[in-house]
Amino acid sequence: MAQLWFDKGTILLKGEVGTPYGKWDPRVGCYRIKAMHYRDVLAYLEESRIPFKDEVAELPPVQTLKDTVGLRSYQNEALSRWRRAGMRGILVLPTAAGKTYIALKAISFLKTQTLIVVPTLDLIDQWRRRVREFLNLDAGAVGGGENTVRMVTVSTYDSAYLQAEVLGNRFMFLVFDEVHHLASPSYMQIAEMYIAPYRMGLTATFERSDERHALLPPLVGDLVYSVGVEELAGEHLSPYSYEKIYVELTPEEQRVYESEMAVFRGYLKEKGIVLKDVEDFQRFIMATGRDRRAREALLARNHALKVALNSDAKLSLLARQLDAHRDEKILIFTLHNDLVYRISRRFLIPAVTYQTPKEERREILENFRSGEYKAIVTSQVLDEGVDVPDASLGFILSGTGSTREYIQRLGRLLRKVEGKKAKLMEIVSKETVEVGISRRRRQKPAGKV
Amino acid sequence: MLPSDLLVVWKRKGVIWPRYAKLSDDNLEVATALIEAYKRHVGEKKSVLKEFVSELEDKGYEYRFVRGLSFLLDRRGIFKCNDRVNPVEFRRRIYQTTGKLGLPTTPEQRSRIIDTVASELKAGKEAIEEFLYADLDSELVLKKFDPLPPKELLEEYNLSLTQTLLFDSTELNFTASGNWQRIFYAVKKLGLIYEVSKDGKFWVKIDGPASLFKLTRRYGTATAKLLPVIIANPEWTVEAKILWKYDNEICDFKIESWKHRAVLKKPPLSAVSYDSIVEEDFASRFQALKSGWNLRREPEPVLAGKLVIIPDFSLEREGIKVYMEIVGFWTMEYLLRKIEKLKKVDVNMLVAVNEALACEKLASLKKHVQLHVIYYQDKIPLAPVLRYLDEAFRGVQATQKGLVKDLPIVFTEPVVNYEEFAARIGVSFEAVKTALAEKPPQDYAVLPNSLVRKEKLQEIGKRIDAQLCQKSRLPLTEALRIFEAEGVMDATSGLENLGYRILWHGISAEKAEVIKPQKSPTDLDRSI
Repeated sequence: MAQLWFDKGTILLKGEVGTPYGKWDPRVGCYRIKAMHYRDVLAYLEESRIPFKDEVAELPPVQTLKDTVGLRSYQNEALSRWRRAGMRGILVLPTAAGKTYIALKAISFLKTQTLIVVPTLDLIDQWRRRVREFLNLDAGAVGGGENTVRMVTVSTYDSAYLQAEVLGNRFMFLVFDEVHHLASPSYMQIAEMYIAPYRMGLTATFERSDERHALLPPLVGDLVYSVGVEELAGEHLSPYSYEKIYVELTPEEQRVYESEMAVFRGYLKEKGIVLKDVEDFQRFIMATGRDRRAREALLARNHALKVALNSDAKLSLLARQLDAHRDEKILIFTLHNDLVYRISRRFLIPAVTYQTPKEERREILENFRSGEYKAIVTSQVLDEGVDVPDASLGFILSGTGSTREYIQRLGRLLRKVEGKKAKLMEIVSKETVEVGISRRRRQKPAGKV
Repeated sequence: MLPSDLLVVWKRKGVIWPRYAKLSDDNLEVATALIEAYKRHVGEKKSVLKEFVSELEDKGYEYRFVRGLSFLLDRRGIFKCNDRVNPVEFRRRIYQTTGKLGLPTTPEQRSRIIDTVASELKAGKEAIEEFLYADLDSELVLKKFDPLPPKELLEEYNLSLTQTLLFDSTELNFTASGNWQRIFYAVKKLGLIYEVSKDGKFWVKIDGPASLFKLTRRYGTATAKLLPVIIANPEWTVEAKILWKYDNEICDFKIESWKHRAVLKKPPLSAVSYDSIVEEDFASRFQALKSGWNLRREPEPVLAGKLVIIPDFSLEREGIKVYMEIVGFWTMEYLLRKIEKLKKVDVNMLVAVNEALACEKLASLKKHVQLHVIYYQDKIPLAPVLRYLDEAFRGVQATQKGLVKDLPIVFTEPVVNYEEFAARIGVSFEAVKTALAEKPPQDYAVLPNSLVRKEKLQEIGKRIDAQLCQKSRLPLTEALRIFEAEGVMDATSGLENLGYRILWHGISAEKAEVIKPQKSPTDLDRSI
């Protein structure tokens, strides 16, 4: 009789049975199959009437759940399309459109062991709260020092990747929150090394500039539902406005900026280097590993950029803006941590970076939610996912040229609260390379997400 | 191991190797400067220390090298937040006060908040300003630093560099001399898979389960962790395939002990410890027996198909080798795999199995003649082990005896030493001795350790007789010298064989004498 069992993120099939999915592994003298083909192999063996013993899955006990999720019409539509696609597929909905609830409803429908994979530790907390609240279940967590597997478990991408060998056979349903992360070469192995036949990917920003999102459908399922901000704005999402404000560098900053950029441009000109696109730039970065002068040129450029991004003039403007919006709940975004701490010290408001201790971070977000704290300054850690329902005013002091980052930051403000009108303000240093960066990040109109 | 952006390599025509720091004066100088800086900066903030490091980078040294050394030195330091203050509490109070009083947008508003918190906490305003973020990484203070000689720092850097390169490896091949058990134990613990081939040496290929489907760096980190275990041994060659992330090229990497040992840190070879009490207990009781069997821990690997088993012990006696494997408490899956492996072994192996594991599958092992299964409860019983060893010994002996008997050999030399002869034809001493005793070749006398041609023995007898003619007693030592001169070791037996008697005066051979009992020469002839 053929025998199947789980071996460190793969399935071993013993017996004189070839399958369309297995590959003979001479190292162990068995057929080895990618864990993701679990369901297919079972189907194949059954259809071929090959008797087998299946010892693959080691599932945590099922707990009874009570679901109190109510779905809006578009959420219902998304869920039913996913079900029709064989309980696999990717759903694209704008931030704040309630992706979480669709996943919770799916869990409640399947009533099976589920792993929810999320990008950050904050999101682990947030999902667990939701599971508690809407499914009446205590979810387990893997990541951030915790390691408890329950019927519903939440994990970071990192932990799900690192522990695929031991977690891969413990779930039947995988939910990938912010599924665009999954397309990175290492995270893709999560999809390959887990046996779960049911899969759901959620994102507001499916497309990646490196086109790798095209690799996801075989792993998670096809894109089965997509809806944009403009279709939901007003009724389901907060209306919002956008404003860009230019500031002038201080004279000293201006001087440093000019001289550093001159070093950089001088080097490019001397060597006849033209930097047209990202690839050109990457080639240049590679060269800096070998060529000392190239590295000096790069450092000069980085310094100039830092001056522009972190200008004192921005802080002065921010002070005036904060003064004018004392009743709003405010999020301030920067690119570098230095600036986060400068702002935190100057305005005595809580900072959240990757260095913030977990407990403190939780406390800050909690107090922000409750209204005790009126503002948070953060670099990139809060870009994604974390839910701060009534944040209404956002300042982008600096960032990369990434559209995704921009959309995500905007998304923090869009959760619908009656009467809320969100506003996002960008503060940009005039006549510096930052102008181009700012233009790039908004190349796609936010509505087309 | 270093952050991967600090990895420095040479890469040419599909070959890659880390840019090892030679133990040159220049490099030793940088290492010394850094170590001294760390010593000097004890009690100061990390950011101050790092400023010194970046100044050193600006002096023309490869910045990744300088940062790499500094990274390793960080790990020898203890960076801590000033323990007289609690920045988290400072911040909490500040944020709460800001929440109450509103965001400060002027210096006056700001100092009002600081003042309020300072008086609440009975702390100075300056302390709050200074320590508000004292727990940030760059603000931590170097409390202690454990220095090392600059040469060792460079060696550690080179090892780390190698490991960092291996993060991107898709497979590793190695051979080594020394402690295999430790290596395979590490392979298993790291979740890697090995494949063994033998061409004179054991070559081991290392990758992981999912490597079967595509090239993957997934096992690179585990492979990097395996490296120190391999190179802790005296001799090794390590080869790897590196999937270079910047251009996706597969490159070859190779290091060898004779060439690279000098620049790499030699990881400590941890002392051998028994995996279980059962093993330790068995080893000590067995050794106390003085059974003639030589018990050895961690023998060389035994091939089992493409895999290896490293048995817990080997037991050797006069060229006969039996392996012993103890199967204690394991999961069923592990046990089944072990059984599969054992079936492929083609050496004599004693398998001691915990009774709790007894099962049908195990019973199937008994069909394999080279395996002998015994069961144990708490400790391994010695009697069945000895019985088996004895049987194995006698069995092998019997075969060998037959072999010796059937050997179409005509002896010509005057003296045949059993030990030499046994070694020459590859059987045991005992086998030779018993075979020859049972069927002595013509014209030879059988002595305990050798065959001696009868003519030779009589020659010796004549020389002794000549001595005895002068005085009726000959000191034993004299007689022994005569035997020795003729290349015969079994002197006392030889003497008896020739019909002499030894008169003992006490227990010392020095005082013993040889005499000739009154017997006719014909009697003597018959007795030979």
